Amino acid sequence: MANITKKVSWSSRADESGATGEGTPLLNGSEQPRHSRQDSLRGRPKEIPHNEKLLSLKFESLDYDNIENQLFLEEERRMSYMGFRCLEISRWVVCGLIGFLTGLIACFIDIVVEELAGIKYQVVKENIERFTEVGGLSISLILWAVLNSAFVMVGAIIVAFFEPIAAGSGIPQIKCYLNGVKIPRVVRLKTLVVKVCGVICSVVGGLAVGKEGPMIHSGAVVAAGVSQGRSTSLKRDFKIFEYFRRDTEKRDFVSAGAAAGVSAAFGAPVGGVLFSLEEGASFWNQMLTWRIFFASMISTFTLNFFLSIYHNNPGDLSNPGLINFGRFESDSVAYNLYEIPLFIAMGAIGGLLGALFNVLNYWLTIFRIRYVHRPCLQVMEAMLVAAVTATVSFTMIYFSNDCQPLGPEHTEEYPLQLFCADGEYNSMATAFFNTPERSVRSLFHNQPGTYNPLTLGLFTLTYFFLACWTYGLAVSAGVFIPSLLIGAAWGRLCGILLASITSTGSIWADPGKYALIGAAAQLGGIVRMTLSLTVIMVEATGNVTYGLPIMLVLMTAKIVGDYFVEGLYDIHIKLQSVPFLHWEAPATSHWLTAREVMSSPVTCLNRIEKVGTIVDILSNTSTNHNGFPVVMQVTGSDEPAKLCGLILRSQLIVLLKHKVFVELARSRLTQRKLQLKDFRDAYPRFPPIQSIHVSQDERECMMDLTEFMNATPYTVLQETSLPRVFKLFRALGLRHLVVVDDNRVVGLVTRKDLARYHLGKHGLEELQLAQT
Amino acid sequence: MSLYKNSYFLVSLVFHIYAPVSGDGVNLTVSDSADKLKEIRSLSPAAAAAAAISSPVFKPAVDSIFSLNLLSSFPEDLEISDYCSDLLHIFGQRYVAYVNCLVPAARPVKVCQNCFSRYGSLKETYQNISSDQMGPGNVSCKDSLLRSDRLMVVYLLYSNLKELWGKSNCDNCITEDFHSLTNDTLYFMATLNQTLTCFEKYQQGNHTELCKNCKSTYRDLNQLYGSMEKNHTMCIDIEDAMNMTRRLWSKNFNCSFPREETVPVIAVSSFMLFLPIIFYLSSFLHSEQKKRKLIHPKRARSYASLMNIQDKLS
Repeated sequence: MANITKKVSWSSRADESGATGEGTPLLNGSEQPRHSRQDSLRGRPKEIPHNEKLLSLKFESLDYDNIENQLFLEEERRMSYMGFRCLEISRWVVCGLIGFLTGLIACFIDIVVEELAGIKYQVVKENIERFTEVGGLSISLILWAVLNSAFVMVGAIIVAFFEPIAAGSGIPQIKCYLNGVKIPRVVRLKTLVVKVCGVICSVVGGLAVGKEGPMIHSGAVVAAGVSQGRSTSLKRDFKIFEYFRRDTEKRDFVSAGAAAGVSAAFGAPVGGVLFSLEEGASFWNQMLTWRIFFASMISTFTLNFFLSIYHNNPGDLSNPGLINFGRFESDSVAYNLYEIPLFIAMGAIGGLLGALFNVLNYWLTIFRIRYVHRPCLQVMEAMLVAAVTATVSFTMIYFSNDCQPLGPEHTEEYPLQLFCADGEYNSMATAFFNTPERSVRSLFHNQPGTYNPLTLGLFTLTYFFLACWTYGLAVSAGVFIPSLLIGAAWGRLCGILLASITSTGSIWADPGKYALIGAAAQLGGIVRMTLSLTVIMVEATGNVTYGLPIMLVLMTAKIVGDYFVEGLYDIHIKLQSVPFLHWEAPATSHWLTAREVMSSPVTCLNRIEKVGTIVDILSNTSTNHNGFPVVMQVTGSDEPAKLCGLILRSQLIVLLKHKVFVELARSRLTQRKLQLKDFRDAYPRFPPIQSIHVSQDERECMMDLTEFMNATPYTVLQETSLPRVFKLFRALGLRHLVVVDDNRVVGLVTRKDLARYHLGKHGLEELQLAQT
Repeated sequence: MSLYKNSYFLVSLVFHIYAPVSGDGVNLTVSDSADKLKEIRSLSPAAAAAAAISSPVFKPAVDSIFSLNLLSSFPEDLEISDYCSDLLHIFGQRYVAYVNCLVPAARPVKVCQNCFSRYGSLKETYQNISSDQMGPGNVSCKDSLLRSDRLMVVYLLYSNLKELWGKSNCDNCITEDFHSLTNDTLYFMATLNQTLTCFEKYQQGNHTELCKNCKSTYRDLNQLYGSMEKNHTMCIDIEDAMNMTRRLWSKNFNCSFPREETVPVIAVSSFMLFLPIIFYLSSFLHSEQKKRKLIHPKRARSYASLMNIQDKLS
């Protein structure tokens, strides 16, 4: 009688003892004997420390499958041909708007970060200059650390106290959303605001983070908001795009938003589409691709346009995205056949380092979930990381002896002299005393000899640990740029060493080229993307020549890395106990059948059901089911009830709210007929059952569900194997799959029933359900 | 190696400079004296070379036998006019003069202050050649001299020097009419001289003395340079002079700031690094570990139920 999708916010008590709703009139009698045994097995709820082998109850599925009830059919009949054309056009309009707004947000973040970071570095630089002369550099160090901590504190407070879901890069969350998991509050306006402010604070606060990952999340939120034509948070309804107020349509727009975010972040429209395809979308079609590409293009264009105004050359659209990798000059781009093995070796190094990064971050994240879970502790931790980052940077700069002459066109934004001779600057400072993005650029493009190997080695080492420590803090921040930076540093180091090993090497071993390859390897090793990353790197550097090496490097990095551990985003998805469905069912699971997988028994509703029963079922906190098979008792026979439809909790709530009772309809003939619009108006935040008042009299009324239920739910037989069930579920984006035996409901398969199987080291393992 | 040599040369230069500060207003003397010195040294080979280069331009008629054979047969009207050949002649002379000036001014760089007038006259001649104005006899030399062949020698030569001029940013230091150096430049030169004078004064003996006494003038110079850098009123001469002075100051006299606060910096940073350890330890020890409540889903127990059903069936 049960499925297991539950919502933690609705269930105030996790009370197990009174579970299983025995009071419900319809039970599948055949299950009775087993019942007592299960109860005895259950005992009292066990508590275990958080680990990766859990599935959280707070996550629900999204309804990616259309609910084909009578209302829907009626609306479709009423809609003219022109109506459908208009819908198609408005889809394009929405995509254009998504691109435009995402570009604007990217532009805003970029400008604010640049201005604030400029002020910060200027203040610190002046301070350092003053104290270099008169002594007291430790005060500069403290000033730097305090400034950093202050910015990060603001960022961490808004994230930890107001919107914890905005922490991190947001890519795992969007990935889950597109997979069909409803992550609470992930696409809210508030999340967007916190995300944008948070990322500004954390980048300005000098953490080892980038602003690119959050752009993807921001784009997704923009998409989810714009496509609905209203804001629930602001309580404004523009009465447009009402047709798109359901999960299926929203999902498509969210993938467009994610693509627009990538394309704004890297100036890579094609990369954005491919990212959405590779990382994000679990559902894809060709029309969608073209629309998403449109959104990406608009986003890049918007960003370029507004940045060109900011940089005082309006109309110059060639200014690439948030991160500007700069252009490689034509003579340094050449590479030769004998370099390919070197590239592949670097890819392997990248894979190893990436795996190390992921493993360290995995342990750190587990520690954080277990022990650093209170918001004030999280804020403190973030502040400490910021202070230590500043301290480490300062110490490295202070003890560095690597002095380089100032370049002719001052590529260094904030050159620090410290103890260098006049007219020279500390080359460690160009790596540390800068926004990470600028450091990447200087690693790619500065002439050979700008950095000495010791500087690069130390930088790689410290930055690796700093970045690893930083990711997973309660600040919104991405991991792209730090990975690129680490990779660029050791890549450049490789280039320098190669050039010094071979006597005539200086001609081919251009450090900038190896920096690029290293950056690609490291990023590939950490996030394990291949196709989209190749295209993003190619587009961001504006250089197709490096396509092949980057591809090889990313491939090697992925293969090597996957041998040890999963990608960073997958690790974080797992650690958040999300019931994520991968492309395929676990390999050795054909012996499992639907009967073992399904939840059973199932709470069913009659086609014409008493209101009191419905209210009772819905308010039962221990069985927060979301979908209820509707059954029909054949009158006058004692045969078990036959399945005739499926109805969702959200639908029932809307029905209760509008009091669509049979008796009332009879008494008041003038009552308006419920339309699909009423369901859409309540979407996506359906009120909890507690807020709906049903009087004692009304409890005795009856409700006719025929019109509203999905009359043809997908069903499988008991003996269907798990991979088959999985395929059906995954490909169609189902939320409930009814298991039947001769049209009799015997069980219900939901997302958590399928996601709990995974292939571990000892064969097929089962994840446990837990309340988080 | 070469750096050291250069700076050494500058030091010796300073000696030369200091003695004759003439009241010519323009501090050209500073360099002029040195220039002269060098010119004397380098004149003989350079002049010979210049002569060798310029001879064909001067007297096309008495060229080597080879070209004579080729040229002699052209009809009259294809030859360049007298006016143009005169212009060419003047161009050649001025070209040589400019190059003659440039070469000795290469190190230390004084290409702007020494040679600006010569460049001015060269530019003037070239403008005459390339102008569309008709000379006497209604001839324009633009076509005949500049673009009647693939090589375009005159154009190429001139554009080389023009590029050099452009690269050196000399326009920033020279007045519009190539008449004199700008006031900014002159002021900078004066300040530079002051500093160098000071350097020279304390050069003997202990450098700490020098660092202390010349600090103010050196700092003034640095500030002036910084402000010029911002205003973009610099040319290569100033940049080079400043570079050399800085190198003297930092490398030769070792007046850079010493790294002497190591202990406080280490103390503060180790304190900072210690904080996270305390934080994590305390949260590990005192914070309550987050536990997850396991939920037992209701489902048909796989084997048990399977067996039950099979039992029932059988």
